[in-house]
Amino acid sequence: MTRRIIEHKILGSKKSPLIPFIWNGETYYGAEGESITAALLANDIRTLRYHERDGAPRGLYCNIGHCSECRVKVDGRENVRACLTPVRENMIIVRQGALPHLVEGGGHDGAL
Amino acid sequence: MAHYDVIIIGAGPAGLSAANILKDEKDVLIIDEYYHHGGRLLGQLYEESKGRWWNGMAVADRLYRQLDDKVTFSLGTSVYNVEKEHSIFTVYTDKGHVTSGHLIAATGSKENASPMPGWELPGVMTVGAAQVLTNFQRVAPGESGVIIGINPLSMVISMELGYADVEVRKICLPAENKINSATPKEALETLLSLGQSAPSKFLAVAADIGNRLSLLHGLALNLFPSKGVKALGMPISIKERVVRINGTDKVESVTTVKTRADGSVIKGTEKEIACDFVCISDGLSPVNEITSLFNLKHVYMESLGGYIPIHSEKMETEVANLYVAGNITGIESAKVAMLQGEIAAHHVTGNAEALKEALKNIAKERKKATVKFHKDVDAGREKLQLYWLAK
Repeated sequence: MTRRIIEHKILGSKKSPLIPFIWNGETYYGAEGESITAALLANDIRTLRYHERDGAPRGLYCNIGHCSECRVKVDGRENVRACLTPVRENMIIVRQGALPHLVEGGGHDGAL
Repeated sequence: MAHYDVIIIGAGPAGLSAANILKDEKDVLIIDEYYHHGGRLLGQLYEESKGRWWNGMAVADRLYRQLDDKVTFSLGTSVYNVEKEHSIFTVYTDKGHVTSGHLIAATGSKENASPMPGWELPGVMTVGAAQVLTNFQRVAPGESGVIIGINPLSMVISMELGYADVEVRKICLPAENKINSATPKEALETLLSLGQSAPSKFLAVAADIGNRLSLLHGLALNLFPSKGVKALGMPISIKERVVRINGTDKVESVTTVKTRADGSVIKGTEKEIACDFVCISDGLSPVNEITSLFNLKHVYMESLGGYIPIHSEKMETEVANLYVAGNITGIESAKVAMLQGEIAAHHVTGNAEALKEALKNIAKERKKATVKFHKDVDAGREKLQLYWLAK
């Protein structure tokens, strides 16, 4: 389980108002001003996407926009980096999945 | 298309400090990909001296507030190209392009990737990711974690996880592979270099031995307990390596092996440690994509973290009116980055007196730096100045 750190022995307490957002069709709550990665993690959601080629689960990795592992679909736009995007009220976020193999005759895993 | 006197790429300690110097005299635009000002100040938290804390979030807010709304911000904006023609810079972003007479590249650094089996599992992240989650977003990266990699950054962040009551079950080295060759000796050097910050009894003794006999003698290394030591409540094992991360659709455990003092694996010592997150840490390197777009020389400097655009101590580059500041010039502290931003800005405004003062301050700051990211950083800086003079 992941949790929000409301009380912190050095930084003090922090409690932000919660706002609803939609993840894969279901309503969750995130804290105002936090990134999509943080909002989902606080709801114990680690798998942000299934890999385009083999469908393996992927989560946040660098959390500062460099690795692009956290790409999700936000309000209809694909490949948005969740770690760079603050969660907004009623935002619609969708997990991206494996892509179809368009080339026939390759290896079983899609490799040519 | 909007035109500015100065465009600063990066709203971290260097960029914000540069903007503060420029705000009354110049039209300034600051661009950053992140949606909040502060760059990698966001997350920093450590005790500088007894009872005196460096709180990166508070510093970021102070730097932002002193700008007094005199500077234009474009946050959440990605720069994908930069050009210079007839002494005008054009900066292309995902929100359109802007031009300027001066450009300051303050793009900071990124964490090096250190792949190992299982590292793509959800729950595996960089230590920096865990830091931002814990201290800035205030969401725990998990309940209990394992830190792979022993370096100044991973040690500081491990302590920060502790302040937030996130359990760190083990701090140890990665398996040796073609990319990662960290050794127990380097790890011990790191721990000893932390000096005051590593008050474990064993480390104090080891440091003493180190001082008298030199680390190369290998005595401290051989004496280091193979089950690790507890320093500041942190379980540190320099003679243990994670060989793989396990789990089906998220992290469930890591598998470790014990090693000898030289880092070679002892057979039959495999052990599983349950955890729900793993942090991989392999140091920082400068983010130099922006300067790489120009016709200017970059040199590889291991002690500074990677490829560095050659620059003067006044932060000039080989391209007129293009400046660099912060970790793009080599991995050092946020305080050094702030002073570098000021120096670049003083050069832009032509304030020779203030520039001289800032150069003095940066020399002082470097001298008293308690944690160095690389032991040869000073020598690296000197060498870089030779490259600049010889250009």
